[in-house]
Amino acid sequence: MLKNLNSKHIQRFSYKYLPQFPISPNSPKLGFSRSQIANYRSNFPTTIMSSSKTIVLRSSDGETFEVDEAVAVESQTIKHMIEDGCADTSIPLPNVTSKILSKVIEYCKKHVETPNADEKVAEEDLKSFDADFVKVDQSTLFDLILAANYLNIKSLLDLTCQTVADMIKGKTPEEIRKTFNIKNDFTPEEEEEVRRENAWAFE
Amino acid sequence: MGSGLSSFLLMCSNSTSSVSSIPPESNLGDLPESVVGSVLVYLNPQEICRVASVNQAFRRASTAEFVWESKLPKNYELVLSRVFDCNELGLNCCKKDIYARLCAPNSIDGGTKKVWLDKGTGKACVLISSSGLAITGIDDRRYWSWISTEESRFRSVAYLQQIWWFEVDGEVEFPFPCGTYTLYFRLQLGRSGRRFGRRVCNSDHVHGWDIKPVKFQLSTSDGQKAITQCYLTNLGKWHLYQAGDFVVEDSKVPMKVKFSMTQIDCTHTKGGLCLDSVLIRPK
Repeated sequence: MLKNLNSKHIQRFSYKYLPQFPISPNSPKLGFSRSQIANYRSNFPTTIMSSSKTIVLRSSDGETFEVDEAVAVESQTIKHMIEDGCADTSIPLPNVTSKILSKVIEYCKKHVETPNADEKVAEEDLKSFDADFVKVDQSTLFDLILAANYLNIKSLLDLTCQTVADMIKGKTPEEIRKTFNIKNDFTPEEEEEVRRENAWAFE
Repeated sequence: MGSGLSSFLLMCSNSTSSVSSIPPESNLGDLPESVVGSVLVYLNPQEICRVASVNQAFRRASTAEFVWESKLPKNYELVLSRVFDCNELGLNCCKKDIYARLCAPNSIDGGTKKVWLDKGTGKACVLISSSGLAITGIDDRRYWSWISTEESRFRSVAYLQQIWWFEVDGEVEFPFPCGTYTLYFRLQLGRSGRRFGRRVCNSDHVHGWDIKPVKFQLSTSDGQKAITQCYLTNLGKWHLYQAGDFVVEDSKVPMKVKFSMTQIDCTHTKGGLCLDSVLIRPK
């Protein structure tokens, strides 16, 4: 994991010489080696800024969310950032708004709380949660897909992509364009070309 | 990215307050290709080809390698090497083209068999012509003859006038993708032809099939067996008679399937049968 740490990480997310809370992005930056950070952590286990149990996430519009580490690492992206030592202050997520981030956190919380569906009841409960979770307007659904893609949360990406696929199934291209307000950016020649390329599937 | 852009505009409108606009909503048309591809994975191949005409991004996503990799059978490389002798296909062929080529009927084993993938499921279908089967007495013109016809995927079918010992055997070795397959014999009682542009069926020689049933058998290289007995019916029409099922669990090893159709009760003769082919297709 040491090889993943580069100078950029150390400069942006480093411990201050004396702990100050809250940490602002404008405070003086100092570089510390990984072992110094680990050593520091073990000497100050009660440091408020980030105990090893919770992670602070910051949305694109500046809101912060404190979540259990177990919930945060549902996202592979966040998991790797923590492993690389970038999660010392808060993790900025410039691609996710607070509205979407709160929904994603709700999803991750539910999936972490439910043990791996050994019991029928727990499995049914999770299924109905998932079904209700995607009952949102189109724009929110696509934002959720983008967030799940960026944060690399496989189960959420699978769920949202399956939902959109179900909305597309059985529709002609024109109906899809109408349902989702998509512009047809093909020239008539290109459209004919696409039809020819894909004719084999309908023979 | 829709959400990033929307928050940027929000910041702009807060700070300058000269531009107040509703942040642009995320649209399916704005999703990056890799994400559209992730959605397409959940559709079947025909649907993927249909949505390619929605817009340019969909078209590109519908040709993505990872989308078609998920549709091809796991052992597609083995299937490719079995179907195409030399590397005609070339390794720089994209997965979508590989899928398309495999879905079209390809002749193997000197034209005695045709193979294709079922478009919807990606499982293999194998059709073995009567010329690729071991038919007892096929060389004896008193019993069997070859008639050319348009009603077969092959140019000709075997026609039985009459015989006592009726036995047809065959075997095929093929790297079937995992799944359950059913084996059928395609048969017709009566000899069909065309007269004055219309289809007619000559059932003069049809006899003996209602006395005792016909036995269909199949066995595989990993020990599966199936036996079916039934009477041949459906005069004048092609019918698929089911011989049995077999399951393929390990697609890395080509499965050898032996099958036969017999009616060897020599107290009576039977005849008037057209034998076209043997079909193996996913259940």
